[in-house]
Amino acid sequence: MSFLKPKTHIEQGDVVILYLSVNSMHAIEAVPTIVNKKGETIAHIFQTPYGSLKVQNIIGVEYGSRVELSKGWAHVLQPNPELWTQTLPHRTQIIYTPDISMILHQLEVRPGAVVVESGTGSGSLSHYFLRALKPTGHLHTFDFHEARADQAREEFKQHGLGDFVTVYHRDVCNLGFTSALDGAADAVFLDLPAPDLAVPHAFKALKLSGGRFCSFSPCIEQSQRCIEMLTKLGFNEICSMEVLQQESVIKTRTLPIIDLEFLKEPKPADNGTNDENKTKEPKELKKYLTSSNPQVLPGHTGFLTFATLPPNIPKA
Amino acid sequence: MIQLGDYIVIQRQKYTKLQKFGSLDATATLGKEHIELKSLLDQPYDSTFKMCVKETKSGKRGAQRQHSLELCSENELRSIRDVLGISSSGADNRDIRDNGEAQALKSEDIEQLREACNESSKIIEKLVENSKTFHTRTEYSQDKYLLKKEKKYFEFVQIRQPTIRLMVDIFHRQDAEKIMGIRVDTLSQIISYSGVSGFGSYLLYESGTNGLLPAAMLNSMGANTEATLVHMHPGNVPQKQALLALKLPLEQQQRCISVNLYSVLREYYQGDKAEPVTETAEQPVEQEEPVEPLSEEGSDPIEPSSKKVKLDESTNSHKKSAQLRWQLENKRASELMQQKFDSLVMAAKEHPSNILQALLPLVKPSRPIVIFSTCKELLQETYMELKTSGKVTNLHVTSNWLRTYQILPNRTHPEVNMTGNSGYLLTGYTLK
Repeated sequence: MSFLKPKTHIEQGDVVILYLSVNSMHAIEAVPTIVNKKGETIAHIFQTPYGSLKVQNIIGVEYGSRVELSKGWAHVLQPNPELWTQTLPHRTQIIYTPDISMILHQLEVRPGAVVVESGTGSGSLSHYFLRALKPTGHLHTFDFHEARADQAREEFKQHGLGDFVTVYHRDVCNLGFTSALDGAADAVFLDLPAPDLAVPHAFKALKLSGGRFCSFSPCIEQSQRCIEMLTKLGFNEICSMEVLQQESVIKTRTLPIIDLEFLKEPKPADNGTNDENKTKEPKELKKYLTSSNPQVLPGHTGFLTFATLPPNIPKA
Repeated sequence: MIQLGDYIVIQRQKYTKLQKFGSLDATATLGKEHIELKSLLDQPYDSTFKMCVKETKSGKRGAQRQHSLELCSENELRSIRDVLGISSSGADNRDIRDNGEAQALKSEDIEQLREACNESSKIIEKLVENSKTFHTRTEYSQDKYLLKKEKKYFEFVQIRQPTIRLMVDIFHRQDAEKIMGIRVDTLSQIISYSGVSGFGSYLLYESGTNGLLPAAMLNSMGANTEATLVHMHPGNVPQKQALLALKLPLEQQQRCISVNLYSVLREYYQGDKAEPVTETAEQPVEQEEPVEPLSEEGSDPIEPSSKKVKLDESTNSHKKSAQLRWQLENKRASELMQQKFDSLVMAAKEHPSNILQALLPLVKPSRPIVIFSTCKELLQETYMELKTSGKVTNLHVTSNWLRTYQILPNRTHPEVNMTGNSGYLLTGYTLK
């Protein structure tokens, strides 16, 4: 239930983010026991590089607290879409926060919005949609993979978001978004191999008073075909973009300062003891707070294509 | 429906502008064109209007035209290319010379044309007729020529209701400094990382974004939800333009509590003891910091500079109630501060360090903080301070690259210009 609203203490059944370091965090379920492969009920112990965590011990603990591991410690954080996106079990490729933020902004999702999404995938984006539109909006999310749809449905329920989402197992390119959703959506989001096939269905699903459209595609050809279809159907404000986030790696560096001026002077009289004294003088050091870009960073995620369906376009 | 007092977005092709429709006499300026807004009243948003020339005055920078607006149907907006029916085009630009003689019409002729015909398509038709090179241009080049001319003579405007998406575009294009250089991608990420939504209590400090940040947060909190926002600012009165433009329901507006940073912290630390005794001033400002001059927005016709005057007037007659009002807001904010917040957002023109030190204890553990700055150095220092303090974890300093694309058949490429500075975000999660 830990995704519904901000809360202070871990309750049984919550998903909890166990934060070890920037590169190491895990989503765990706060239940005292689990069933192992042999079907036996055993105590829930979570293994980390810093030793094990007896999960029972974190129930009732305040979020943000430090918890002891057998060989170290970690912090427990309340999950949110950002942390979830970094820890969720991948069932497909997922979209990350920089792209997602732009999608939410451009689709103008706010509480009360009705959003149609396809495909559901691993539910990374769905969690963001749900945060933005609850408690008064609704998400209709479609996936053509039955097991994925089922898993996502189960996950939303477990996360306390079940009331705000309907998960469909359906091939939207061929079958559309069901007639019940005709003229019902404020925004439609597509992440499909052939978005152009689903654009006419998006057109039907959007409200008569108009709405916003977005398609995410890794390849420019998909965007081209998609835009061709959007133009044909009367969408306007069509625009494509790419957002890439760069991390700055911040470090304090200590640099030695070399003195080369003394080389201009003749060596002082060859006096053994004097020379020794000189080399023992501590070298001058300077401290700098520096930032640099990481060696490797994402160079491409996908092209985001946005469009507006203007109001009162006849859909017959 | 467009109402008096509304802020409206006027769109002419790709150009957009935020304007207050304050009275029936209000006019808007689009380049050299002045348009009367009178006829917008009670028309639905998203309608398209035709600009009709009423009179032409010769001004310093050429002719100034006054237009009235006439509601028109979508059918009137037809493709300019269809109207003109251009067929012959050249293969490449070998026969085109830039000798200034391509257009046979003189500029006076064109001015006369503009007065004589109301339709841009007719003007462009004449321009094309009198252009010696038009038919030797390639088809792409003809398109470009037409687009350029259409942009200049386009006589339709659309009136749209302001949204955060439209406003951040306008503000950033017109004067990015007024919103502290917060670019669209960065704004979208501030909203994501801060987790602002329909549940929770949020804390924002900003030193002047034309109201964009509080408006964006309030927009994400939604109507009829339980979320609240304490909006701290360093000045006399908060900049509220974007907030007013959204025209949110009163219930939602009231969940944004705008308070002066100094006076609310005094209230929080000292409570009733801080009650000013001999106060005659209308505002609770401690003049410890130079206050953002109101004149900065005064140049902008839409900024309600009358607000200040009104305040002064009202304080004389209703001194007591005016005092009560800001004191009540301070009290309300102070109560929320006691209960602590579910996230902290900061966009400071001052050094963020001390402000953060004062506000960080007001945030619950396991909650996001987001600090925006136009330059990285300030965030580097703050990053190190937070890292050393051990109060915040999962610290990241990030910036963005935003590139828009022209996607046309066989002519797809990134746009020629892009903005180079997204600003920087420092994000992290508070610890117990």
